[in-house]
Amino acid sequence: MNNSKWDDRTIAAASASLIILGALLYYWVGEVQSTVELLELAYGSLKFFNNPLVF
Amino acid sequence: MLSNFLSNYRSVAVLAFVVLTIALVEFFGVRASVYPSLLPFFEWLKYSSWIGYLGITYGSVYATIQAVHLISMALIGGTILVADLRLLGVLLKDIPSETITKGTHQCFKYSLSVAIATGIFCAAGVADKVYYMPVFWIKMLALFAGSCFIFFIKLPLLNSRPHNEVDPWMLRMLAVASISIWFTVAATGRWIGFS
Repeated sequence: MNNSKWDDRTIAAASASLIILGALLYYWVGEVQSTVELLELAYGSLKFFNNPLVF
Repeated sequence: MLSNFLSNYRSVAVLAFVVLTIALVEFFGVRASVYPSLLPFFEWLKYSSWIGYLGITYGSVYATIQAVHLISMALIGGTILVADLRLLGVLLKDIPSETITKGTHQCFKYSLSVAIATGIFCAAGVADKVYYMPVFWIKMLALFAGSCFIFFIKLPLLNSRPHNEVDPWMLRMLAVASISIWFTVAATGRWIGFS
């Protein structure tokens, strides 16, 4: 890879992209985790189709 | 030496400053201490401002402006998807990505302005509700970060040189980050509606 390609704007873009992707991953994984915990609290275990009439 | 670094790496220095500022704001609890003081503004927005009055009094006006808001958000999503999927090499491969980036950005700018203007009106009608919703603040944060990313990071790089001179993995990373953050704006926006 040509090092001259990694100038100021490229490094800023790479850093910002990584920060954004990391923050979004952290947020959405946290949301999935809390949803799973909520479903387990409600139904005892995680079911993909949580019909309260079917246990 | 520092001035030399700052002149050569201005964008990196600004980004590092912003990240450091956000970290300090969180560390010293500034956000948590400012949050309660925003409630009177949100209450004023709903009950005392003319946009709040219009929103809660005339359902048809609220629905019409919300429709414009949704259409402008759809346009934002469309322009983002077209530009970023072209950068990923998924669609419109026979058109130069420089042309698509410049063309879609014009539409993106106007759509974003309309979305923000109509979004303020929509939020005013339910201001006392959205104030307490974490997902509303996540949407505002994602919207702000996504706009800054487009205007200060993505476009300056893409407009500075032909795209074939940019590292292909850099282009892919830009496109994935852009799609992800605008997906979050859309998803959290709908989440507000279902909360």
